Amino acid sequence: MKRVVAILIGGLFIYAGAVKIIDPVEFARDIDNYKMLPWQPSVWLALYLPWLEIFCGLALITRVFFRGGVFIVTALMSLFIIASIAAKTRGLDVSCGCFGHASKYLNFSWHLALDFLLLGGLLLLWKRPSPVA
Amino acid sequence: MKALLRQSAVLIALALLPAVVQALYLREKIPWQSRVAESDFVEVDTARGWAANVIWVDARPSEEFERDHIPGAVSLNEDRWVEGLSQFLGTQWSPEKKIVVYCSAASCNLAEDVARRLREEAKLPNDIRILKGGWEAWLAKK
Repeated sequence: MKRVVAILIGGLFIYAGAVKIIDPVEFARDIDNYKMLPWQPSVWLALYLPWLEIFCGLALITRVFFRGGVFIVTALMSLFIIASIAAKTRGLDVSCGCFGHASKYLNFSWHLALDFLLLGGLLLLWKRPSPVA
Repeated sequence: MKALLRQSAVLIALALLPAVVQALYLREKIPWQSRVAESDFVEVDTARGWAANVIWVDARPSEEFERDHIPGAVSLNEDRWVEGLSQFLGTQWSPEKKIVVYCSAASCNLAEDVARRLREEAKLPNDIRILKGGWEAWLAKK
C-alpha cells in the first residue's frame, strides 16, 4: 500500500514540476499572486521549486533518499496549504498553478481537498512498518 | 534524524544545479526586475485624454461589470475568454485604437493577464496598456 502511495505521489510531483519548468515566468506570476514575496524571490523560487519537486518525486519512486524526499514534500505541501488559506482569508483570488494552466480551473475547495488528500498520503509514508510479532 | 537531514540537504542541493543552469539559459527572457514593465501601464488621466481613440476592456468578473463600468467598456475576462474574445473582435475591436485593460484595483492581476493574452494569444497589433490603479483609480478621478 505504502509503495503504491509513494509512486502515485512521486509521479504527481514529477508531473507538477515538469509542467512548471516549461514556463517559469508564468509560475513566478502564480507565486507573486499570493502577495507574500517581492517579485525577484518569486522568480528564483519559480526556477527552483519545480526542480526540487522533480528530485523529491524521483526520491519517492526510486526510494533513494526516500525519507529526505518525503520530508521536503511534506514541508512543501504544509507551506502551500498555509499560504493558500492565508491568501483566501486576505481575499486574494489566487490560482496555485501547481499543475500548469489546467489547475486554474479548480476552485479553492477542490484545491484544498486535493492538498489534504496528498498530505494524508504523505503522513502514511512517514509511518514506519510495525514490527512483526 | 541525521540521515533525514542529510538526505534532505542532498536533494535541496541537487535541485539547485539545474535551476541555476535554467536561470542562465533563460536570463534574457525572464523579467527579473518587475512583473509588468512600467511602460505597460497608463494613468487614468492619460487614458482619458485618448478619448475616442481608446477601447476600454473590463477584465473583472461579469457580475462586477454588470454593476458598473467605465462608459463604453467591453467585458472580457478569463472566465468566458473564448466567447468574449470573439464577441470583442467582431464588434468593438479596431486595429488603430489603443486598448486599455482594467480590473478592480492596483492589487488585482486580472487586467495584466487579459492584456497578456490579447498580445500573445490573440496577437492583436494594438498598443495595449493596463490602467494603473484599475477601477478604483477611475472612480477616484471621476
